[in-house]
Amino acid sequence: MELKAQPAMAGTSVLQRIEGRFGYATDQQHLPGLLHGVILRSRHAHARLLRVDTTRARSMPGVRAVVTAADVPGLNRFGIVVRDQPVLCEDRVRYEGDAIAAVAADTLEQARAALALIDVDYEPLVVVDQAETAEQMAPLHGESNVVARDSLARGDSNAAFARCAVIVEHHYQTPRQMHAFMETEGGVAIPDNNGGVAFRVGCQSGHRDVEQLADILGLKPSQVTVEATPTGGAFGGKDELTIQPVAGILALQTGFPVLIHLDRFESCRVGIKRHPVSVVMTTGCDRQGRILAHRVDALLDTGAYASLGPAVLENFLDHATAPLYRIEAYSVSGRLVYTNNGVSGAFRGFGGNQATFAVESQLDALAGKLKMCPLQLRRINLRTVDEPGSRGQAVRWTAPPTEVLAEAAASPLWLPAAADACGRWLTGTGMAMGAQGNGLGDGLPDSGGGRMSLTAEGRIRLEFGFVDYGQNLVEAITCLVCEALGCAASDVDVVLGNSRGPDSGPTSASRSSVLVQGVLATILPRWQDRVRDQAAALTDLPRDELDSGPGGLFVNGQRVLSYQELAKKGQPEQTMVDASQEFPVAPEGNQPVGRYLQLQIATVARVAVDRLTGRVRVTELHHITAAGRVIYPPGYLGQIEGAAIMGLGMALTEDMPTREGRYLADNLDQYMIPTMHDVPDQRVDILDNTPETDPFPVRGVGELGIEAVVPAICSAIEAATGIRLRHLPVDAGSLLSALCAQEEQRL
Amino acid sequence: MSPVTARRAIRVLRPDSPGEAVRLARQFRAPYTAGGTWLQPAHERDQCWPEKLVALNASWPAFRGLEEGPDGLVVGALTSLSEMARHLLAREYLPPLAVFLNQVAGPGVRALGTVGGNLIVGGDLSALAMALDVRVDVVGHAGERALPLSLWLRERAPDDLLRGFTIPDCRGWRMSLEKLGYRERFSPTRATLACVHDGVRVRLAVSGEGGLLRLAATEAFVHDQAASAPGDFGAVIDRELAAHGWQDPDLRMALRRMTEGLLSEVALGT
Repeated sequence: MELKAQPAMAGTSVLQRIEGRFGYATDQQHLPGLLHGVILRSRHAHARLLRVDTTRARSMPGVRAVVTAADVPGLNRFGIVVRDQPVLCEDRVRYEGDAIAAVAADTLEQARAALALIDVDYEPLVVVDQAETAEQMAPLHGESNVVARDSLARGDSNAAFARCAVIVEHHYQTPRQMHAFMETEGGVAIPDNNGGVAFRVGCQSGHRDVEQLADILGLKPSQVTVEATPTGGAFGGKDELTIQPVAGILALQTGFPVLIHLDRFESCRVGIKRHPVSVVMTTGCDRQGRILAHRVDALLDTGAYASLGPAVLENFLDHATAPLYRIEAYSVSGRLVYTNNGVSGAFRGFGGNQATFAVESQLDALAGKLKMCPLQLRRINLRTVDEPGSRGQAVRWTAPPTEVLAEAAASPLWLPAAADACGRWLTGTGMAMGAQGNGLGDGLPDSGGGRMSLTAEGRIRLEFGFVDYGQNLVEAITCLVCEALGCAASDVDVVLGNSRGPDSGPTSASRSSVLVQGVLATILPRWQDRVRDQAAALTDLPRDELDSGPGGLFVNGQRVLSYQELAKKGQPEQTMVDASQEFPVAPEGNQPVGRYLQLQIATVARVAVDRLTGRVRVTELHHITAAGRVIYPPGYLGQIEGAAIMGLGMALTEDMPTREGRYLADNLDQYMIPTMHDVPDQRVDILDNTPETDPFPVRGVGELGIEAVVPAICSAIEAATGIRLRHLPVDAGSLLSALCAQEEQRL
Repeated sequence: MSPVTARRAIRVLRPDSPGEAVRLARQFRAPYTAGGTWLQPAHERDQCWPEKLVALNASWPAFRGLEEGPDGLVVGALTSLSEMARHLLAREYLPPLAVFLNQVAGPGVRALGTVGGNLIVGGDLSALAMALDVRVDVVGHAGERALPLSLWLRERAPDDLLRGFTIPDCRGWRMSLEKLGYRERFSPTRATLACVHDGVRVRLAVSGEGGLLRLAATEAFVHDQAASAPGDFGAVIDRELAAHGWQDPDLRMALRRMTEGLLSEVALGT
């Protein structure tokens, strides 16, 4: 079924965002006494700090504070997985964005002028800029540049390879992609009168940030509040702390609110990126196309600090086991290494889409060798819903993978494209599949809560700790509440992202919708019970005949009490209901337990390749998704289509290459994200066989759209040209060279 | 190197006339600014701004707009790219331009950016201007002069002020233009290629990564030798591009094939 959204479904914030009227954290320029903070970044990718002299900066007009590592009140380190990144570097810088000092001043210009007068003496050190040789270089941290080494195995892969009739081995390379969110990193730290600090900032987990910030600022967690304000995009790039530690230190030093907002140049230089992956995959099958053996050797460059790299590696390896397919034996291993190439971390897809690109390309290569239709090869090897996952774990699909494949096979994009009269454009259609598990992964604490109440003003209030960064979570929650209560959207207020409110865990890993649905299933009936009790007492009407509806409570279709009257005459504070739940994992006895809730996508891509120049246009994308129930169609479409465009950028134009540890692009005129003219027509189909009784009918789709689009585009390019590209982004020059070589061979 | 300063301290000089603008630019070694769409990001990137800027005034006579003159279409240098794209005279003289300009930057930049600025930095219009043999109208410290664009670019003084340029009467000529970027829109130019047939000869010019170049040797080959040795076309254009700074062999290959495509379009009159 094709999913469509009407403009009338759009939430109220959509127009505000489009028209630039939406208030972001970084718009908070009018707080009383607001100071502006700026951060001094390293000029070197790797150097020893010999001297940091702030004397001249301190004497500049308007300057209220200048801070260095010596001014960090608590732990001068942060990092979600490994706390290895200094807030302000003490004696060594490890990438050209490393923070050395910071200034707070009355105006931004004064702060920048003072920053320019901080004297730093560096002793340059050897730059570790090649992930391949990082292990042999002097360590950037501790004893070794290998942050993590991990492997997964099933069966005897050597024996299985020995039985293969066909084996393909290829090297794949994926780019260092930038999140390129609309609102760059920023926010305000506001000191309170009791030595604490409140943050209003663009981030992805207020509660988690509180713990790290309290440690850094030398405060108790109760002294730190984080309001994760609606944010202009994050995509994983605001999962780690960004400006919060420095803004907090400056706020404590000065006693005034401090705003820090990175400009685009600084954001490009400092912000984390997607891990570039270099991977060799070897895959073999028998003559009938049954995949018997699969071997993976991967190298991920995490840059100067670990960030979420170890978890990204784990997710990469999980996806490298080819979760959709039945493989007799595999041996999958990977390393995550430190270099001086910026910092890489969380990014939509979280390593999984890099692996899927290579896995799906391998399947096409096998099909090519077997002279078999790639779809048929997949059909032979796809798992059924009754089988365990690729790691032997229990999994829960929302539709059989073969049905998703069948829908993809029936896509209209396989019909021949309109002929190009000049013969300039070569067209082709390709497809790929992808699977993704919701949740933080195996063995990680993963739970979340929410709260529901009737306010003193008679509003139905829902609170979650999740962050609104444009993913339409507010609208999705409102839809679920309205559906359950029969109330109007205008009766509902959704409040997100305050660390004083319920802890819902991070807004990442496509987990929010699952937890929202689960928590609402608990709190909605309890809240309704309390409201009914109070309404019955106020109206003397039978409790069980009272139904909530638009604007109030109804009996036999007649409104008998408005929510405002109920709040005024009753005890609205008694309606507050809290609930929390563990993220759904496999039932006890299974191992591993993570990635229990599985989603699937098949993406069919049609491309046109310019025979004259080698450039590629993606003209159409057709996604078939099996990801549970759709709550809010515009949000669902936005997630799938938006993620696909990010994948399109990864495939065709986006990369942040480095030379001697320095990024070679510094702004969006050099770093090429797709424009509206690069965006193809897209269609999203929904395949949902989830039974009504399924306890987890809703899945998170924040990352699903990026899963299969890259290999689908590469498959389509191969269909158009006969050339398979395995290093991303696609280089038009290389493609043209290959086309020319082909033409010469034909002559 | 020009003197630089903090951004806050930039002084914008607003001369009353083109002559005064030239005098101020010469006296302070200050760059001219009009739309600022090229200067602003360039200075932001380097974090260094000139102490003074000389602001040009679009209301100075002949600095803005399009009008027909005895020698062809006269275009004021401070005409914005978007004005140029929608002007009826531009559509009459340069039919492919409106569609082509839609690929240049975004609407905001096209509304501010000027055709003169685009020409001076070797932007997307410069290949077409070179192929059309436009004559530029320049105000310099020694007075005013009109000369071919190609000549001016070779001998241009730092304080030369471009008032406008004259496009020969090219109505009836066949022309084709193509830009190769990194993406479909709003991309730095890798190469922009212009192919013009004036009824007698084909003219070819290219701008982009390797610089602005009239492909004179390739033009000569097309006219004089194509019939006798068609297979050598690729070698001729490749050699000419490589000799003039176009170092990327894949890009030269693309240009060769684009040129063949544009030549056939122009020859067919499509």
